[in-house]
Amino acid sequence: MATEEKKKELLEKLRNAVIQYDEDTAKEAANEALSTGMEANDAIFNGLVSGMVEVGRMFEAQEYFVPELLMCADALYAGLDILKPHVKQLDLGVKGSVVIGTVEGDVHDIGKNIVKMMFDVAGFTVYDLGRDVPLDKFVAEQLRTDSDLVCLSAMMTTTMTGMKKVIDDLRTKNPNVKIMIGGAPVSQDVADKYGADGYAKDATNALKDAINMVASLKKMKDEVEAKKAK
Amino acid sequence: MNSRERVLKLFAGEEVDRPPCFSGMGNVTTEGLKSLNQKFAATHLDAKMMAAAAASTYKLFGFECAVAPFDLCIEAEAMGCEINVYAHSEDLLYPTIKKKLIHNEAEMEIQIPSDLTKRGRVPLMAEVIGLIKRDIGKEAAVGSYVLGPFTLAGQVMELNDLLKLSFKKPDKIGKLLDLLSDVIIQVAGEYQKAGVDYITVREMGATSDVLSPRVFKSLILPYLKKIFEKITVPNVLHICGKTNDIVPFMMESGTKAISVDQKNDVAETRKKVGPKTLVFGNYDPYNVLVAGTPDLIRTTIKKCMDDGVSAVWPGCDIWPTVPADNFKAMMDEVRNYRR
Repeated sequence: MATEEKKKELLEKLRNAVIQYDEDTAKEAANEALSTGMEANDAIFNGLVSGMVEVGRMFEAQEYFVPELLMCADALYAGLDILKPHVKQLDLGVKGSVVIGTVEGDVHDIGKNIVKMMFDVAGFTVYDLGRDVPLDKFVAEQLRTDSDLVCLSAMMTTTMTGMKKVIDDLRTKNPNVKIMIGGAPVSQDVADKYGADGYAKDATNALKDAINMVASLKKMKDEVEAKKAK
Repeated sequence: MNSRERVLKLFAGEEVDRPPCFSGMGNVTTEGLKSLNQKFAATHLDAKMMAAAAASTYKLFGFECAVAPFDLCIEAEAMGCEINVYAHSEDLLYPTIKKKLIHNEAEMEIQIPSDLTKRGRVPLMAEVIGLIKRDIGKEAAVGSYVLGPFTLAGQVMELNDLLKLSFKKPDKIGKLLDLLSDVIIQVAGEYQKAGVDYITVREMGATSDVLSPRVFKSLILPYLKKIFEKITVPNVLHICGKTNDIVPFMMESGTKAISVDQKNDVAETRKKVGPKTLVFGNYDPYNVLVAGTPDLIRTTIKKCMDDGVSAVWPGCDIWPTVPADNFKAMMDEVRNYRR
């Protein structure tokens, strides 16, 4: 077992690798974490995700822009790919399965990919339909996979209106499904009008929302563990 | 003073009776399409239909210009990208790039086709401009737009790669932007030959929401300068999103006018650039013009003018489903405005 000090050092290394978009160091630190017997979950949440939270803050403060964000995401994935096979399946009390995609007419998928990353981190099963997705495909995929969350992204006003159709159709076929919409033109007002459960305004907010989601999952995880310990 | 005179005088730095209300970007409306019995998806490939649709906003509402095309794929298509016009769709979908030219870093060594201006819809656009000119060219300003080099790069290659390489290998991206500037200059040249009154360069990919002002200045500005040196008709540089920090660089590009959207604090911009500089903007063409009430439209348009815009101009393409009453409210507010 790793000493507390070694553990702290490795978490810091993972965190910094993400912040400094250093894929090689992220891989190296992930492998070290595993070989010293650190819990993969711990390395992911307190190392990689902690780094991404800082990246989110820097993005908001305009210290980082989208290119940096994308490179940080690459570093996170470099570590995640190594750690993920070692994650012990935890009973989170939620079924983590999500259908995600950019609506037809829209070929911008960077925002969508950032949200997807956070779901990957959280251990969700992600059904990524990609970009320019015909509207009825969202509904078909939700029914096929029985996912409880559907995320729709539109970068342009010109495609946003298509989301309403998907939401209406999803509600008719499956009233219990949760729907989150996001993208530059989307507002709380639009989300309310379209009948979505949640919204993420832009990359920053998407990241924040997704991080909040991960944070609440973490809390649930802790509660589950606390119960187990009793 | 008719609409065309008003717009041209404004560009020439002469006195105008009031700010014109026009745009350099798409402004076709479903009302206009309805009056012509045309489907949006069909207008992108047919010169007569595109010209008629472009002129309809002037004819129906007195909007002071006609602008074509309606999509952002002309240059990329001429370079060899495949486009999708969503011909099957009854919805309002704008054409997009289906197949990129550059799929990874190794494919970045591209050439400009020697017959560039004969390819894709470039000849169609020249025809469209001619048709609009003959129809309403004496009364309304006829405009067209090209993409900025960075935005065009995002059409011909994966945006993900473009953004990362802008950071990791700026020299490689600079070389591509230089080549794409030549493409843009050639296409803009065709539009000029066809007789457009003004050209807007849309560089929305370079907004400070995406790229740092520092990268904008070092990587993109040199090529914008190169383009504006070669455009001889009145011209506009449009960048959407956060732009307050890059307004000075936008001016440095050599453009005649800058166009900003609702995220720009125009009162601050006006202070920064002085009274003479042409600043166009900056109402939200969806949340205000389409989804707002006539009251909201009047107060928003008034604020644009109070803040000091030189022309009342949308932050992006006007979303077609704008209700007729909303459009009228905007036009009335501009016509009746007293400073």
